[in-house]
Amino acid sequence: MPPILAAMLLLACATVGLWRIWRGPTSVDRMLGAEQLSTLAIAILLLLGTRLAQPALVDVALLFGLLAAVATATFVTRTWTRLHEAQRRPEEAEGD
Amino acid sequence: MSTFIIGFDLLLGAGLLWLAWQALFHPKPFAAVVHFMAFGLVMALVWVRLEALDIALAEAAIGTGVTGALLLAALGRLPNGATPRLALRPWQRPPVALALGVVLLLGLWLAWVAWQLPRPGLSAEVTAALPESGVRHPVTAVLLNLRALDTMLELAVMLGAVWLVWSLGPELRPYAPATALPGLPALTRLLHPLFLMVPAYLLWRGSHAPGGAFPAGAVLGAGGVLLLLADAVPWMQRPDRQPLLRLLLSTGLVLFLGLALGGLLLTGTFFAIPVAIAALAILVVEVAAALSIALMLMACYLYGEPGR
Repeated sequence: MPPILAAMLLLACATVGLWRIWRGPTSVDRMLGAEQLSTLAIAILLLLGTRLAQPALVDVALLFGLLAAVATATFVTRTWTRLHEAQRRPEEAEGD
Repeated sequence: MSTFIIGFDLLLGAGLLWLAWQALFHPKPFAAVVHFMAFGLVMALVWVRLEALDIALAEAAIGTGVTGALLLAALGRLPNGATPRLALRPWQRPPVALALGVVLLLGLWLAWVAWQLPRPGLSAEVTAALPESGVRHPVTAVLLNLRALDTMLELAVMLGAVWLVWSLGPELRPYAPATALPGLPALTRLLHPLFLMVPAYLLWRGSHAPGGAFPAGAVLGAGGVLLLLADAVPWMQRPDRQPLLRLLLSTGLVLFLGLALGGLLLTGTFFAIPVAIAALAILVVEVAAALSIALMLMACYLYGEPGR
């Protein structure tokens, strides 16, 4: 059954993304893990929408797609600033 | 398929609990914020599974998008490294224990009351009142007509939040990003039309399907935050545009209040909307509320009063 196989593959990818968010080690890893989860959530929503015959799920997927861009843009402009680069001590270079 | 769906639901629930725990207790603040954003994503999926699509839309837009961006921006102003562990002084322990106990008792009481609620709830009454509400989607009917007072007070709470943020001091200038970002203006220019189109679509859908003012306002606000990140809305910071900004911020609440008082004049009941004009009135108030919500989210994002 292809849909179940696809869903299992997506859930396995989500586990990897969750592990990356938890483990890090840098903040960029965590941020990309969150973005990956958001992409996978879109795929899961579209799959669910066709399986459960709920076309409105496409709207939720649309919002996920749009808002992922805002999260990344905020991260690069507001969180990952020069101040944080300057404060980073050598022994913390692996942390966030 | 049904066993798979049950397994999927169990996984969602377990993932939600794990993410909530990590968001609260991860030693690194950045990791906690990213866990919180992932929590919002999974929470939206859980609302979808509970067949509450309106809440899923609002959670996707507000919980993940706007709140995540607010927390990320706040992190950029905090010093690096792990948060110090919570250390209570001896005299602080009894009040904290008392507060925890009261919260626990209230939570148990709330759970008990929720368990006692009559089933299947008020959906039959809402369906019966639907033809007189002016819209065809029960959630919009409840939010904008049957329980419009609650929605108006929610707008008042948001306006109060903006007031509080602005009262903390003048607007904060953002720090320079660590790397050059040549793609950001282009990204903003490409995406912003979509951030205008999707809220319009959600507003239009609200009259007959999941959607409505709150998700629409949140998406519009997220698009506005993207513009703020690219420094593309200088008028919000200009001193001579502050009266306009304040007027627009309060438009949603003022129109709502006007609707309530108009109902009082026309029918003698506060917030009773005559059936003949209900559809039009709800549409006008929804558009105004969405615009106000978007601007209020952007105004919170300035971290202080602009133009000072």
